[in-house]
Amino acid sequence: MRPTTALPLFTRALASSWRSLIGWSLGVIAALSLYLPLFASIGGNGQMKDLLASLPPELITSLGYDQISTGSGYTQATYFGLLGFALLMIAATAWGTAAIAGDEETGSLELTLAHGVGRVQVVLERTLAVLVRLAWLGALSCLMVFLLNDSAGLGIDPANIPGMGAAFVGLGLLTATSSIAVGALTGRRAFATAAGAGVAVVGYALNALANQSADLDAMHNFSPYHWAYGASPLANGADWGGLGLLYGLAAVLIAVAAVGLSRRDLVN
Amino acid sequence: MTGSIGGDPAIETSALTKRYGRVTALDGIDLAVATGSVFGVIGPNGAGKTTTMRLLLDIIRPSSGSVRVLGEAPREGGPALRRRIGFLPGDLRPEGRVSGRELMRHYASISGLVADGRAEQIADRLGLDLTRQVRTLSRGNRQKLGIVQAFMHDPALLVLDEPTSGLDPLVQQEFLAMVGEASANGQTVFLSSHVLSEIQQAADAVAILRDGRLVTVSDVESLRLTAVRRVRLTAADIAEDAVRAALAPLPQLTALVLAAIGSGVRVDATVTGDIDPFVKAIARFHVGELTVEEPDLEESVLRLYGAREGSE
Repeated sequence: MRPTTALPLFTRALASSWRSLIGWSLGVIAALSLYLPLFASIGGNGQMKDLLASLPPELITSLGYDQISTGSGYTQATYFGLLGFALLMIAATAWGTAAIAGDEETGSLELTLAHGVGRVQVVLERTLAVLVRLAWLGALSCLMVFLLNDSAGLGIDPANIPGMGAAFVGLGLLTATSSIAVGALTGRRAFATAAGAGVAVVGYALNALANQSADLDAMHNFSPYHWAYGASPLANGADWGGLGLLYGLAAVLIAVAAVGLSRRDLVN
Repeated sequence: MTGSIGGDPAIETSALTKRYGRVTALDGIDLAVATGSVFGVIGPNGAGKTTTMRLLLDIIRPSSGSVRVLGEAPREGGPALRRRIGFLPGDLRPEGRVSGRELMRHYASISGLVADGRAEQIADRLGLDLTRQVRTLSRGNRQKLGIVQAFMHDPALLVLDEPTSGLDPLVQQEFLAMVGEASANGQTVFLSSHVLSEIQQAADAVAILRDGRLVTVSDVESLRLTAVRRVRLTAADIAEDAVRAALAPLPQLTALVLAAIGSGVRVDATVTGDIDPFVKAIARFHVGELTVEEPDLEESVLRLYGAREGSE
């Protein structure tokens, strides 16, 4: 029972969440193994194209389905932009909320902070634990795409997969750090959840609206969703500008969280 | 102020005040807790006990006034200072799919140095099974977990918020014995309760807190002098008037109620302070039954408080 752990809060956060991480991992695997093999019968299928052409174009552009005749466009539209996006944002919001606000509302944070740990340390180690879990889900998604690429006939250049993974994880990280920062500033679970979910939903909605017409194109600039996927990284490789925005803003939010938690009273 | 046990006080507050908006949770508290002493804070819910403890641990910060813990301001002392403190929060809700042992290992990793086997030793004493999942534990057993994590690194200062709540009487006794040993070991214990009787045997001094203000600080011995005991006895073969004549003059006796039973009398009364004159007075009776309750120091304190309040 000696204090030999280098990152005790990080270790504890991972140790207490491995069960839920398995659940999320199964969700990721299920989503990708159900969707990707259908490419040939959806994206590459003439009848499906006719069907899609008969649907309102606003719907198609909202979903990003205008690109689904290519393997990379299909994978982005169906998984990274839709189901995988939803999965990761829910996970990011839940983990980001639990990291500070959730722990504070149960009273656990009070006991943790009564021990030999600092508040900045709490924010950094727990954020790192969230990042590691998000990165795991991102890596798992990339691996699945890589494995199913040939059999599903997606024709994605494997070299482009990591860039998409980085955008996917970056979007999750921005969502999670929004929850962490608001949780650190307010200590309220509801606010933290609203912040994370808000970033995800508003980012998605802004992008979908901006897709509707050239007049609204400027709205893309304010959408984290667009920062991540606007440059179609699966087709074109990593978009460093978009990644810089996602990770840069996440870093700012982490700093806000660290300063915010350090300065205020714990609430209960 | 609190006896003469140590040198520098382990806790010292000066005009310590905590406001939440317009609500004043703590109003100008001056306390000095001697090193190595057991200091109890008594008061109803909302009196400011928990607020005081949170200020000591830098969980919240004072609005004004100052506080020093083991010679340092809590905020400046930071994690290094808190490693020298063991804290039991008032409402402990440990959760999760971990065993008690795993949870204690985690707290040990962010605490002061925990000697090998120390957590198990304390858990054994309290009758707590550390192999059980935390979420399956009863309230009393969760409280024991909290006590283990507070004591296991043998900290210089123990800050315990309502430590006896949820514990059954036997475990309470064991816990109070641990408090006594900690004090004998030079550790300072700062604990709270809303029931004085639960901690009076362990505490050297008590502070009474009401509505964020310090009503009084007193050592337990002087409280004992104002102790209130309920007594009941039966005296055989004697008339009510004779009993009344013998007892009524005693200044320590109040709430005297006499009832004739058969050829004797049943006596109910309250004795405040010294019980000896009462014992001498009843010696002349043929006493059938006699019950003297343990002194209720809380009642004495409330009287004291009532008196202060009246004089303000």
